[in-house]
Amino acid sequence: MLTSLYVEGSSWFHRLPVRAKLIALLLLSLSLFATQSLYLLAPAFLFCGWLYFSLGMTLRQALARIGFVFFTILVLAAVNLFLLPFPEVAALALRLMALVFFAAAVTATTTISAFMDEITVLLKPLERMGLLNAADVSLALGLVLRFVPDIFARYEAIREAHRARGLPIRPLTIIGPLIILTLKDADTIAAAIDARGFRRQ
Amino acid sequence: MNTRDLVLIALFAAIVVVLGLIPPITLGFIPVPITAQSMGVMLAGCIIGAKRGALAFLLFVLLVAIGLPVLSGGRGGLAVLAGPSGGFILGWAVAAYVTGIIAERFIHEGQSESRQFGGFFLASVVGGIVVLYGIGVPWLSAVTGTPLLAAATGSLAFIPGDLLKAAIATLAARAVYAGYPLLPVRA
Repeated sequence: MLTSLYVEGSSWFHRLPVRAKLIALLLLSLSLFATQSLYLLAPAFLFCGWLYFSLGMTLRQALARIGFVFFTILVLAAVNLFLLPFPEVAALALRLMALVFFAAAVTATTTISAFMDEITVLLKPLERMGLLNAADVSLALGLVLRFVPDIFARYEAIREAHRARGLPIRPLTIIGPLIILTLKDADTIAAAIDARGFRRQ
Repeated sequence: MNTRDLVLIALFAAIVVVLGLIPPITLGFIPVPITAQSMGVMLAGCIIGAKRGALAFLLFVLLVAIGLPVLSGGRGGLAVLAGPSGGFILGWAVAAYVTGIIAERFIHEGQSESRQFGGFFLASVVGGIVVLYGIGVPWLSAVTGTPLLAAATGSLAFIPGDLLKAAIATLAARAVYAGYPLLPVRA
């Protein structure tokens, strides 16, 4: 149900370590926001676009992932045309589209487990300060992935129950029972986690 | 944080994912489709409280960031966070926190039903609309260069839909509060 946005492949960008890619994304956004020059932004846009489209996705897949974000950027750029001089609008749109291309490329070439390893490293300082437990974060992520299909099945069941009684399907009459039924499970799940000693405290 | 809190946070994040899988409903009289997911912020604060609600959304944003298509319409990944509406997504946790603070302050057992409705509605509007737009709109303006005033005027188009969402969230939150109260009591 939740298929990751990772795309199988062996491009050079796939082989880069996650940390390098995330640092590159950070540096890229800082440097792109520092410049207004179209002579720098246009090549950056072309490079990031080339990078994104060279990852082994079909054109349709590639566009489906970023289409919505690009649509928003272009609508806002169209609004900006009435308010700002053209070179500035072009610079703003190119910068943002370059960043979106690059960010989408990072997402497409990094597996969930690679991200998780990196997050564990990033959480280390917080853990040392006693603010949280890195293992809790992975446990919580695992719980979400485990329970989404169950909760969706529950939503379908409530919808069928509505249908069987000839009731219209409204968000209001579905969300209440869905939340109550789901959160009522919390005690059972928490007891099961504690019984297995997953969280030693 | 005890294990039950951890599980409640994870389950609520999972509920928000499921709300994104529900097809959006378009109402005849306003042009904005009602996606159940954007009500999640209001629901999280009103149902599991400030701290747990905010953490549920931090977890949800983490799912977006690591490339799971958990946003409505199957969107996700760092590209959405880098795009113009990234501020709204990163603002969700803060919005859920403020919603929760207000709900915890104003809702008590033994109040009249209408006061509880009023409290949940106030929390949903202030947290889920005022705070969320207070973060999302300046962010959008900074990233896209659209002047702040124009960005703010443009987002007024979404306010009627959001008020409707606040009303639905109020009714749902009150139903959960009556059936299975989880909102922490604030001294």
